[in-house]
Amino acid sequence: MDQASNNDPVDVLIIGAGASGAAVAWSLTDTRMRILCLEQGDWTSSSDYPTNGKNWEAQQTGAYSINPNVRGLDTDYPINNDASPIDVVNYNGVGGSTILYAAHFPRLHPSDFKVKTHDGVADDWPVDYETLDPYFAENDRMMGVSGLAGDPMYPPKQPPLPPLPIGLVGETMARGYDKLGWHWWPSDSAIISQPYEGRDKCLNLGPCSSGCAQGGKSSTDITYWPQAIRSGVELRTRCRVREITLNDDGMADGVIYYDKDGRECFQKAEVVIMACNGVGTPRILLNSKSAQFPDGLANSSGLVGKNLMFHPVSVVQGVFEERLDSHKGPLGCCILSKEFYETGKDRDFVRGYNMQIVRGSGPLTTAMQGHASGTIPWGPGHHEAFRKRFDHVASIANLCEDLPEECNTVTLDPELTDSNGIPAPKITYRVSENSRKMLAHGLARGREVMEAAGATEIIETELVRPAGWHLLGTARMGNDPKTSVVNAWGRSHDVKNLFIVDGSIFVTSGGVNPTSTIQALALYIADTMKKNLANLFD
Amino acid sequence: MTNDKFATDHLLSSTQQKCLSALLDTIMPAAEDGSMPSAGKMDFLGFILAQAENFMPALVQILDQLDEKFANDPLAARVARLEDFARADKKAFNRLLVRVYDCYYQDDQVRVLIGIKPGPPFPQGNTVEPGDLSLLDAVVERGQGYRR
Ligand SMILES: Cc1cc2nc3c(=O)[nH]c(=O)nc-3n(C[C@H](O)[C@H](O)[C@H](O)COP(=O)(O)OP(=O)(O)OC[C@H]3O[C@@H](n4cnc5c(N)ncnc54)[C@H](O)[C@@H]3O)c2cc1C
Repeated sequence: MDQASNNDPVDVLIIGAGASGAAVAWSLTDTRMRILCLEQGDWTSSSDYPTNGKNWEAQQTGAYSINPNVRGLDTDYPINNDASPIDVVNYNGVGGSTILYAAHFPRLHPSDFKVKTHDGVADDWPVDYETLDPYFAENDRMMGVSGLAGDPMYPPKQPPLPPLPIGLVGETMARGYDKLGWHWWPSDSAIISQPYEGRDKCLNLGPCSSGCAQGGKSSTDITYWPQAIRSGVELRTRCRVREITLNDDGMADGVIYYDKDGRECFQKAEVVIMACNGVGTPRILLNSKSAQFPDGLANSSGLVGKNLMFHPVSVVQGVFEERLDSHKGPLGCCILSKEFYETGKDRDFVRGYNMQIVRGSGPLTTAMQGHASGTIPWGPGHHEAFRKRFDHVASIANLCEDLPEECNTVTLDPELTDSNGIPAPKITYRVSENSRKMLAHGLARGREVMEAAGATEIIETELVRPAGWHLLGTARMGNDPKTSVVNAWGRSHDVKNLFIVDGSIFVTSGGVNPTSTIQALALYIADTMKKNLANLFD
Repeated sequence: MTNDKFATDHLLSSTQQKCLSALLDTIMPAAEDGSMPSAGKMDFLGFILAQAENFMPALVQILDQLDEKFANDPLAARVARLEDFARADKKAFNRLLVRVYDCYYQDDQVRVLIGIKPGPPFPQGNTVEPGDLSLLDAVVERGQGYRR
């Protein structure tokens, strides 16, 4: 094993430089400890992002695909989705999945932390909204969040920047919601509507999910990381962690990783923090087997890799006679509706869903999706059908709360490996009965909104397959070591110097995009670590 | 190598070229009202060589299944022929279709005709209307909607 000279012991070792890894690294810089982050991917450059070229749509199906199995970069690891109706999507590099995320940035609601109390299902969280509130606000400031204060579906909050323009798509849909007397609000977005902290504002390019050439989208490579690095954090790219090692006292003492040349290295650390996301983290824990933890590290509960939650999504697309300029503006950040977010007594399911209004696609995607759905033919008739749809659509993505179920898992694939020979994750997942009812309810309600908004044609998608954006629950928090992997501040019950800060620790999924909450939790955990530095391992 | 192959800049035989032109005009004929050009008007081969070179062998394979008769057939007959192909080999047909659409909708003249700016999205960007936020008055009036 190669103990390179720059592998001097560090105080804190963070694995993964995505949404949560960046936040925790920045927050811990106060401590003046030696902090190192190992990231398997590279830095990306805004001048390489697809929207710099005319072929940007085609690039979204290749090197900038959201699906790592399609991208197939050296820095990716393959994921076996065969036993799941939903494919995991991600990005592996500095910024993690925020490089490709849509930046729709709602917080979980206060009730999301108390689902057992409210609805008698799953479990309450060991933290609540009020505790996280200051961390949400700090994260909004650090990331640069645009939004409008006063949403009656939340306790008071003040986004640092004014909302993004909702455009013709947002206004048309808003009129539909108003007609029905249903809630809607401009989305909180991790996209800057005005120049902010040296970054220029969003240019309404449209396709946020292939990287933002303008830098208006708040990915952590351009928000947290520059500040963390200036404050002394070392970020080492192209370093893929294989396993966390233990000393004789049962404490984590470092990691074994592969550097960019494929050399096996050992990095010693006093504290290890996992931030590899809800699939990457259980994968590495399960791969870190020892005599003490034959089923994977920190897994005495048997829950590492279990309770995987996505947000199953159904989509209702409306076609409108008038032009909506649908291709302009951030695809996923427009308006949302929380009308069916909380449990309704008149419904046949518990919990609820967020209706996220999504703008339209570029011409190539419009044409290919039209081909797949049979709405835009090739041959004679193409132009007429295309003209009717392109820039004339708005969609509602019903993002449903997924309740935890132990049968939904991340395990190690017995055969598939990444380029370093580390076992790939295998996803085993089924959409629950409760989620199915919610998805169907969303389709019916979505149709009502579209009709109220004046859509002339409505197209439904029951379940979106490439929708494994949100990876949650696979190393859940809790107070009881028998039913959870980490405690209320992200520390492993079993290994007292091992922390987890990514989406794995979610107890329930809520019905909104999770990144705002993931990062608020990471800041909260970092802060709690700082407050407990003297007796961190007690 | 057949003797009617052109050198470097013309990788297709004259028959293949005629078939390609007919194929493109079948997949995307000009709009009946003349408002949109046909795909045959695009430099499809140039596009493939520049942006999707590894598709070239598959394209040649498709063209080799066609003949002069196809090139001279009326549109309806060509459509029927392509429908057969699409049914027989959906994957290959879709791979062709995506390239034809990609080439077509990258064309600056086409982009202007469908109402988008020529060139890449960045750094031009777009202007989006702020939208009428007074529509929120009704939402605010209904009051708090969250549970603690
Ligand atoms: C297309 C897309 C759209 C999305 N849209 C939204 C949205 O609109 N709103 C929202 O809230 N969320 C969205 N998300 C989800 C969001 O990106 C994630 O919730 C968030 O990035 C998760 O943060 P994380 O820190 O848990 O993991 P990530 O950000 O995924 O970071 C994990 C990092 O760990 C690294 N890593 C993993 N394993 C190893 C290893 N063994 N060694 C070294 N490094 C490793 C990875 O390379 C990666 O960089 C979207 C995601 C995608 C892919």
